[in-house]
Amino acid sequence: MTLSRRTFVQTAGIGAGAALTSSIWGRGRENSIWSAIEPDLQAVERGVICIASNENPVGPGKAVLDTLRSLLEGGTRPGRYSNQAGQLTEAIAAHFKVKPENVLVSEGSTEILRAATQVFTSKTKALVGTIPTYEECAGYAELIGHPVKGVSLDSAFKIDLDKMAAAAKGAGLVFYCNPNNPTATYVGAKATRGFLAKMSSSSPDTTILIDEAYFDYVTNPDHETHIPVAVENPRVIVARTFSKAYGMAGLRQGYAIAHPDTIKALRPWVASGGTGSLNVFGMAAATVAIAQDSTFTTNERNRNKAVRDMVTKWFSDRGMKPTDCQANFMFVDIGTPAKAFREACRAKGVMVARDFPPFEKTHARITLGTMEEMTKAVQVFGEVLGKKTSTAAA
Amino acid sequence: MSVSRRGFLQGLRLGQNAHAAAFLAARGHEELMAEAQQGRQGGARMSRPNLPPGVEGIRISSNENPLGPGKAAIDAILGKFPEANRYPFNSTPLDADLEILIAKLNSAKRENVVLGVGSQELLKNAARVFLSPTKHLVIPSPTYGDPAGFAQNLMKVTLKTAPVAEKTLRTDLSALLPHVKGAGLVYLCNPNNPTATINSAQEIKDFIAEVKKQSPTTAILIDEAYCDYATDPSFQTAIPIAITTPGVVVARTFSKAYGMAGVRIGYALGDTATIKKMSAYRMPYNVNTFGVAAAVASLKDPQHIKEESARNKAVRDFTVKALADMGYTSTDSQTNFIFADIGKTMTAAAFREGCAAKGVMVGRDFPPLEKQWARISLGTMEEMQKATDVFRSVLKPGATTSSGKGQ
Repeated sequence: MTLSRRTFVQTAGIGAGAALTSSIWGRGRENSIWSAIEPDLQAVERGVICIASNENPVGPGKAVLDTLRSLLEGGTRPGRYSNQAGQLTEAIAAHFKVKPENVLVSEGSTEILRAATQVFTSKTKALVGTIPTYEECAGYAELIGHPVKGVSLDSAFKIDLDKMAAAAKGAGLVFYCNPNNPTATYVGAKATRGFLAKMSSSSPDTTILIDEAYFDYVTNPDHETHIPVAVENPRVIVARTFSKAYGMAGLRQGYAIAHPDTIKALRPWVASGGTGSLNVFGMAAATVAIAQDSTFTTNERNRNKAVRDMVTKWFSDRGMKPTDCQANFMFVDIGTPAKAFREACRAKGVMVARDFPPFEKTHARITLGTMEEMTKAVQVFGEVLGKKTSTAAA
Repeated sequence: MSVSRRGFLQGLRLGQNAHAAAFLAARGHEELMAEAQQGRQGGARMSRPNLPPGVEGIRISSNENPLGPGKAAIDAILGKFPEANRYPFNSTPLDADLEILIAKLNSAKRENVVLGVGSQELLKNAARVFLSPTKHLVIPSPTYGDPAGFAQNLMKVTLKTAPVAEKTLRTDLSALLPHVKGAGLVYLCNPNNPTATINSAQEIKDFIAEVKKQSPTTAILIDEAYCDYATDPSFQTAIPIAITTPGVVVARTFSKAYGMAGVRIGYALGDTATIKKMSAYRMPYNVNTFGVAAAVASLKDPQHIKEESARNKAVRDFTVKALADMGYTSTDSQTNFIFADIGKTMTAAAFREGCAAKGVMVGRDFPPLEKQWARISLGTMEEMQKATDVFRSVLKPGATTSSGKGQ
């Protein structure tokens, strides 16, 4: 049963945490969703446009793939397993001008999200996150029996900082996904800094995990990373991933940047533990990717923005309003259930729009593919939504 | 996308498999984990011996397949380049396809299978499912240390151990039984690391039945990392028991005979309810897509594993005989490493240092047997021919560790 957003806020106390996550957040692992949709488990067939999982449609780029190729061909002798994790850690540290002890590499950022939830929440210290947001922390808190508090977004689908600060008082961990998945909205750097300062005084023992997965796609001028705060403040962690702008979702590489004491607390819960149990392709690729100059991410941001502008205009011209999108996906009020939209699009070769309660009856999350893919996709949207709209109007 | 795919494939198909294989085998992982474990426990950090300048090292310390994966696996990886940007659930093959293939090969259902980032994730997740501060862990001593380290350090779990059998160094299952009452989990490694020995299928079957009788809620995790190297016909996988017995799990890895330690793919099988519990702790999208493709291709090429097992057995027979000719016995190795009794001449530490000075890296200490027993992983035949020459000079009574460079 779908509850209204208001009902969620009312029921989202500590006691209601488990019920909340099982009905909302715990539901949404992307793989289980797609498995449920496609019980025959066929891999994405040729020609299908996959705009369902916020992947970079272009991939990691030539420099990265050339490195993997040379390693496989033996053009360069790869370092030992251990050195690869160390080299990746150092490359990340150098890129952000922090120390290696500020960096913890991991199997995707998923592992960082889990480790932070493990370490900083407890039976009496809740996880706090927005409804909706990326589900991993809440799903994991539920798994280990730690309470979860949900906080509704503001009317623009952005994180409501006042509500968040109030809910976070005495909490163990705040999951602060910015830009937020699935709503694509972004809280400016100045406001986030204010929130962090406020938390330091109103709830100094609460840790804030800032998930900057979509950082490189933000075009809002009030934009900066919170890594400088994280390396100073033991209560702030920044999580990053190579799965989005860097185009390496298949290679499972992520990392945390934080104060050395915080890294030390997280480390035992992360498989790499700094000892190099990450896969060698991913480590080699990520090491090259992060060492590239900013041209790579700038180009990817610009490529994405052009697509985003086209798709935003397409929806706006048809009276469907996306949120203020600062990511490589959009959250659009299509006025019809995501499920019907998803199934109709899938029948026409477009994979898109899983459910994001409590908005699944009206909103669809649409990942931005290439311009070519999106030009085809909006045609499909037009066919699908055109029919729906006329049916609804009749 | 199709253009770049073609370009990569043309550039790669004829690549040098040996180099690719070395990259993927990514040797040296296991000892690093052990080092991290010791570091976490606050002990002295174990540093890997430095090789003398200019010496091309022979690394026979971490039980990896020296040749890496077969051609089918490498080709599968090369085919994945255009899909590096896709999550495992949007990729070709899907992570689910690997689960289904593993299920089929074991006459099981997909619900009997869970994938892990190597078997490491699975061993930890079994600990998380079955252990708590009030439900202890039972293990033979010595055995592979990861599950016990994790359980003790991060879960405050009590450990109960029983020594391996005195002469054979086989896991003494009857000695474990007195500890199982009320235990959360019994961990067995079969074949066992570091002792290289097996317990027969019948012994394992009887043990499981006895544990279930004496302590029905106690789970049993059997780590079969080295199973593809066992040649004794009395060894059989416990997977058929696991998929039909609640609370029995078998863990496998692609890091050993499949030669893909750097690829990080493992899997576990058990009955559906047990696997469901394990799956709850599985990280979403945990396995990398290149690894999934390589694993699928490898499983479809069973001949390669047969050949790898035969290759290893020849090297094993040679190495065991070489040591026997020097007067040192080894346990009955059913793995890609041997456990040799060098105690009458030196400790494992002295042996390790002596060998390292000549460019050969052998296994770390395995308490409580480190004064007498040394673990030697099996490299290629060529490597072991050189390595046994080094052993001969190092183990020579009165030998010092500073005599000339090894080859």
